[in-house]
Amino acid sequence: MLVIENLVGGYGETDILTGIDLTVAPGEILTVAGTNGAGKSTLAKAVVGLLPRMSGRILLNEQDITRVPVEQRALSGIGYVPQVANVFGSLTITENLEVVEGVKNPRQRIAELFELFPAIAERRRGRASSLSGGERQQLAFARALMTRPGVIVLDEPTAALSPIMADESFRRIGELARTGTAVLLIEQRARQALAISHRGAIMDAGKVALSGPAQSLLADERAAQLYLGVAHAG
Amino acid sequence: MTSFVELLLSGITSGLIIGLAGLSVTLVFGIARFSNAATGDTMTLGAYGALMGTSLTGSLLAGGLIGLAAGALSAILAYVLVFRPLQNRSPISSLLASIGVAFFIRAVLGVVFGHDQMVFQMDLVRPFRLHGVRIQPNDLKFAGVAILTLALVFVVLHLTPIGRRMRAVADNPLLARVSGIAPRPVMFTLWAIAGAVAAVAGILLGMKTVVSPESGWDMLLPAFAAAVLGGIGHPVGAVLAGVIIGVAQELATPFVGFTYKIAISFLVLLLVLLVRPRGLFGKIEGVR
Ligand SMILES: Nc1ncnc2c1ncn2[C@@H]1O[C@H](COP(=O)(O)OP(=O)(O)OP(=O)(O)O)[C@@H](O)[C@H]1O
Ligand SMILES: [Mg+2]
Repeated sequence: MLVIENLVGGYGETDILTGIDLTVAPGEILTVAGTNGAGKSTLAKAVVGLLPRMSGRILLNEQDITRVPVEQRALSGIGYVPQVANVFGSLTITENLEVVEGVKNPRQRIAELFELFPAIAERRRGRASSLSGGERQQLAFARALMTRPGVIVLDEPTAALSPIMADESFRRIGELARTGTAVLLIEQRARQALAISHRGAIMDAGKVALSGPAQSLLADERAAQLYLGVAHAG
Repeated sequence: MTSFVELLLSGITSGLIIGLAGLSVTLVFGIARFSNAATGDTMTLGAYGALMGTSLTGSLLAGGLIGLAAGALSAILAYVLVFRPLQNRSPISSLLASIGVAFFIRAVLGVVFGHDQMVFQMDLVRPFRLHGVRIQPNDLKFAGVAILTLALVFVVLHLTPIGRRMRAVADNPLLARVSGIAPRPVMFTLWAIAGAVAAVAGILLGMKTVVSPESGWDMLLPAFAAAVLGGIGHPVGAVLAGVIIGVAQELATPFVGFTYKIAISFLVLLLVLLVRPRGLFGKIEGVR
């Protein structure tokens, strides 16, 4: 269970996030959408502990983790797939997974993940820098899943993917949530993301402008016009 | 022809020493992200440590290990006292601070040991001839020790969990932290290895030539040249580049004379920076 309370913060003097309250329950997918520069990635960084300056509170399973350093948060069960630079290019596929700390039974876990992501399993001895964009995204996902995190933060996991691979990705995310993981999903493909989500939040200028059950956001004329783009078939 | 081969062999040995120093520079650059100007003087410190150790224990091997430990310890100390407090500042602050550390080490060594050259008491071994080529057995030993050291470093980097963590931090420090890798053990290991490797380079240089408080500082340019030519942050590249530079220096000696062979490093450095700034093996990706 992830709870974000009155989150304010930024990289330097100016506040990028200006007061955010959000909750993601176990097994739930929360889609966060919004225009470029709204502060979505900044929100993700605050949750995983990478934002240089912030106030407010972040709770993980009722524990206040606001002051907990990044690597400690990772160990306590927050998985994160950054928007960019999300694999170790100079390490092999296997090493990308082996290097993750705090994994019980890493060999077995790697085998499980290779079963889940056959495309990268085939390339396991190759360097991650040799992977295609889609494969890279799968490796980043697998790396974040190594610790069997209770909460996972995905920053635009489908951005570089073809429509077919994006569908595949959404399917995996749905499955992950069904195993009880809380998913904070940042997405540009907002309609598709909301379709598999329980709830959604639309950010604008560092604030949550609109939030609610995914279905009602999808049905909301105003949200649709302002933030989700024109509806299109398929 | 035979004298060419002799120069080549001697160049390979000197080149391996430069390669070790370049490896130290490139490891620090890759993980701590600044050019460590104290690398040369850490070499000198290692050589003096080994001299002291040898005269204390009567054994070159034990003395060498003491010198190695001295190099590792001084590097860790410099990290804790100087580089760690500066780690969130710009790389220029750390570079400038490392010049300070370099001067400090040299000054202390000068005060403690004086400025006269010192030598290792080594058994005099006659060179032997192979197909007319004169081979110095000691050169072979030095090359062997250098190669062994390099092999050890690569085993640590590529076959151990801490080495994997070090490469992860070098590749992408934020992703490393997100993956639960604590920076502290990685940094301590880095500095221990960087200091030890520099010390081995200094000890071998001292055994091959002489030891004076300035001997390591003079090696800084070749070491930087090797790191840059190898593609900064690229360990294998630094070693190979070191060998190339060592050989080039040695082969140039008949033409430019002993005093100016060091200029070869400068020339290499300049050429690489102008023509191929990412070095022989560096990636095309820009500086992060
Ligand atoms: N490392 C940084 N240092 C300073 N400012 C930053 C940094 N990263 C982002 N910003 C600023 O913070 C604001 C929000 O950026 P953020 O990356 O969170 O947006 P986003 O909603 O994820 O956008 P996108 O959809 O393009 O990914 C922007 O104005 C951006 O310029
Ligand atoms: Mg973003």
